Amino acid sequence: MIKSNNVVAMLLAGGQGSRLKLLTQELAKPAVCFGGKYRIIDFTLSNATNSGIDNIGILTQYKPFELNAHIGIGECWDFDRITGGLRILPPFMREAKGDWYTGTANAIYQNIEYIDNLDAKYVLVLSADHIYKMDYRKLLKYHIEMDADVTIATIEVPWREAHKFGILNVDSNNRIVEFDEKPKNPKNNMASMGIYMFNWEILKYYLKKDSKIRKSEHDFGKNVLPLMLNEGNRMYAWAFKGYWKDVGTIRSYWEANMDLLDKNSSLNLYDKDWRIYTRTKHFPPQYIGRNGIINNSLISEGCIIEGEVNNSVVFSGATVEEGAVINASIIFSNAVIKKGTEIDRAIVLENTVVQSNKNINREYEDGICLIEQDSVDMEQGEALYA
Amino acid sequence: MLEGCLGIISFEDIGNEFGALCKNKPVYMLPFAGRYRLVDFTISNMINHGLCTIAVYTGRKVRSILNHLGDGKPWDLNRKTSGLSIFPPLFDEEKRRSSDIYQYHTTEEFFTDSKAEYILIANPNIISKVNLTKVFEHFLDTGADITVVYKKQRNGDSGYINADSLIIGNDGRFINIGVNLCSKSEFNLFMNMAFIKKGVFLDIVRMVMETGEDIYFKQAIVNYKDMYKINSYEFEGHIEYIRGIKSYYDANMNLLDKKIYKELFLEGGTILTRSRDEPSTFYVTNSKVRNSLVANGCIIEGEVEDSILFRGVKVERNAVVKNSILMRGAVVKENSVLINTILDKHVIVKKGVNIVGIKSNPYTIEEDMVV
Repeated sequence: MIKSNNVVAMLLAGGQGSRLKLLTQELAKPAVCFGGKYRIIDFTLSNATNSGIDNIGILTQYKPFELNAHIGIGECWDFDRITGGLRILPPFMREAKGDWYTGTANAIYQNIEYIDNLDAKYVLVLSADHIYKMDYRKLLKYHIEMDADVTIATIEVPWREAHKFGILNVDSNNRIVEFDEKPKNPKNNMASMGIYMFNWEILKYYLKKDSKIRKSEHDFGKNVLPLMLNEGNRMYAWAFKGYWKDVGTIRSYWEANMDLLDKNSSLNLYDKDWRIYTRTKHFPPQYIGRNGIINNSLISEGCIIEGEVNNSVVFSGATVEEGAVINASIIFSNAVIKKGTEIDRAIVLENTVVQSNKNINREYEDGICLIEQDSVDMEQGEALYA
Repeated sequence: MLEGCLGIISFEDIGNEFGALCKNKPVYMLPFAGRYRLVDFTISNMINHGLCTIAVYTGRKVRSILNHLGDGKPWDLNRKTSGLSIFPPLFDEEKRRSSDIYQYHTTEEFFTDSKAEYILIANPNIISKVNLTKVFEHFLDTGADITVVYKKQRNGDSGYINADSLIIGNDGRFINIGVNLCSKSEFNLFMNMAFIKKGVFLDIVRMVMETGEDIYFKQAIVNYKDMYKINSYEFEGHIEYIRGIKSYYDANMNLLDKKIYKELFLEGGTILTRSRDEPSTFYVTNSKVRNSLVANGCIIEGEVEDSILFRGVKVERNAVVKNSILMRGAVVKENSVLINTILDKHVIVKKGVNIVGIKSNPYTIEEDMVV
């Protein structure tokens, strides 16, 4: 049982995600909508729920309103508990002064007391901007088996992309011998997923030590983990197999949504044993009109589809009028696509009304078009090409 | 807003006209419109008009409603003060009575403890979006002891025979409740909905208990009508009165009419229900869905037309579903054909099976069956 082992999960959800441009204009990256009815953070939160984690702290910082409203007291993920459960942990004032979270490690450092109060033995550091399904119990089991001080979840990435990731070089026992942050010539393709299982006492020691190093950026990947490695701690890599995607850019965000339409994708949303939970919005069922055509698409509750939707993800409450054609696009909640419009490879933001007879993105071969809230058409609205 | 008012959702003993569909559940727990239960409409309408004390009298088949309502969280009724009260019947053999009045009598404390001065009684088998705030204002403004709600209903081919017909005077004064025998083209359907002063309500309950009659509250209103000021309110919107399989089937199919869909779902407040955390519905390439209502969590590979699909339904390749209602988790395997059929929860239709009902009498298949 994970319970008796006292795992406290700390979920880093304060990031801005500036590369997501308009998507994160009003909200933090973890709160960005995903996959028809979810927000990005739902995947990590649901993993925690399904892994039997009882205590989870959510570190927020950048524009937290929507995120806070979404999470609430965590009841949607069964985190409203008598003991433990979910806590939202924003930066706070102390007697002398207060500080923003200046880095991933600093965010945990500032909450040492929270973790101590929970009598934690292990601390699981998670980030809230990845799409994946993982049983953290397996990571913990491996961590205990290896008698590790830190275990880092890794995933095999394509060699040609390895230079974008933090690559871990390990010995034959999977013990980490070297960190290679975004290497030009990667020695292998095992990338860190940003998911760490720490022994709390050891982590606490190094967080305190790191906090005193003036030129440190107080970041796990850049500072704390290399410091721990240098001092000879037992650090292991645990190989995760399955779907994992960092949705850091518009393109990867779009691709991750499109992956949901791929039959062969290993991310199965319909698995009843590993549900992804979210806050329900209470829409009626979707209505498909007499002339509606839907091919290879995800459609959510409350949608009214009277036009044609191909290879797309349509969020709750969106309307596609007769004669409109949507291809390879993502339509957010309550957007309306009017008659005779053709949209290709676009992301239409919430509540946007796309007026009749517009062709959007037909002329661009490879771009993904973002269509801004309340923009009436392409000329007046602010459309960005990623 | 209904201030100082509490809501009663009361069962109606209309016998079992639903065959297997209501073997284990009361009528008001019938799945409706892809993701709801009938009772969700009455509860949601009440809370959308500001009621926050609601009592549900369950009738005898109590398991499904307990499961569904729980602590009332999906309707925001999990409160410290007020909120949801669920009253299963008492099985007291000596004093056993079947009517609702006996149930009200045995829960008198609930009413006397409440600070509310008014009571709204509603029948969950009738689906409507009555603007309760307006009716309440009418009730208060006219200074009535009881205001009953009715709807002018065409008889036509509708199944309203033997429904309660409200007899009223020209000034809207309550005269009697009769039986609709379809002799006229139109009648006033009593919606089994009424606002009542709490004191009057309790007086009537006590009087009926003292006389020892085993009658329903609506009969009691008739019996004691001369003692009180009773008027009426006409509801002009759309209603569905679920009285049998045919009306249940038609009520679902009516939702494919955009106007009715809008009135029931988009106007006058959201209908709330228990979430099942289903993902979006997936339509594969070359699936064909026409004029249908589809809930989340479905996977559709085949052809669906003029049908209602509940959460988590699977329609496999080359299967055809027409004019049918498929409840939660039903699976229609390859090359099967369903026409005018109602599949209850988790029914599996095997490969190549054809099931055809008649529109006026759809074929129903009991839950968990494999056919």
